[in-house]
Amino acid sequence: MGTSADIIELMLPLKAEYVSIARLTASGIASRMGFDIEVIEDIKVAISEVCSKYVQKGSSLAEKFKIIFTVSEDCLTITFNSEDKSLRCIFNKEDDELAISILNALMDEVQLCIDNNDDYLLTMSKYLERKM
Amino acid sequence: MTNYVKVVISGEVDIYTSTKLKEKLYDIIDKNDKDLKIDCSQLKYIDSTGLGIFAGAFKKAKEFDRKIYLTGLKSNIKKLFVITGLDKLFIIEE
Repeated sequence: MGTSADIIELMLPLKAEYVSIARLTASGIASRMGFDIEVIEDIKVAISEVCSKYVQKGSSLAEKFKIIFTVSEDCLTITFNSEDKSLRCIFNKEDDELAISILNALMDEVQLCIDNNDDYLLTMSKYLERKM
Repeated sequence: MTNYVKVVISGEVDIYTSTKLKEKLYDIIDKNDKDLKIDCSQLKYIDSTGLGIFAGAFKKAKEFDRKIYLTGLKSNIKKLFVITGLDKLFIIEE
């Protein structure tokens, strides 16, 4: 891997049956980067939380959404986007307490509600801990 | 005679499969008057959709003054119960 980040994009229909595809893709990429199996499981849960929320709340608003994996030397960043910006800020503290606590605990950085001017909806990152 | 009903959950519980689990689990609670022992040793994956169903099952069982035991939880799944505080609702056995 070079010093510049590699980008992998996945476009999925907003349907429950495709959430497992997001998990499998995340698992493959994280494994390729050298994350431990336990961390890979955490990343799978985190990506699934976001996808499930989009499917639950967004299927009447949009047909598909995009997941962008940015693979750098020591970090995997997962960004979500959709042509329909009404999918922005879909997590709320009251209804999604379980999901929010899971996301914050499992990922190193989570930004659930990105500024309206930004093109992306949500982003989260996990850093690779190098073994000495 | 055992004083609990044993339930085995296997595979992945996510937004796609959770409805089926909810129906089965709630039906078992409705139709039995014993505690529930859920064998999770074959449960490979669960997210908040599935955890919500477990929480609902606890609530339902509690109405009838029954307990739910969870056995064989994998470490990554047990971690989710701890993160969300749901571990306090169930009797978790190794």
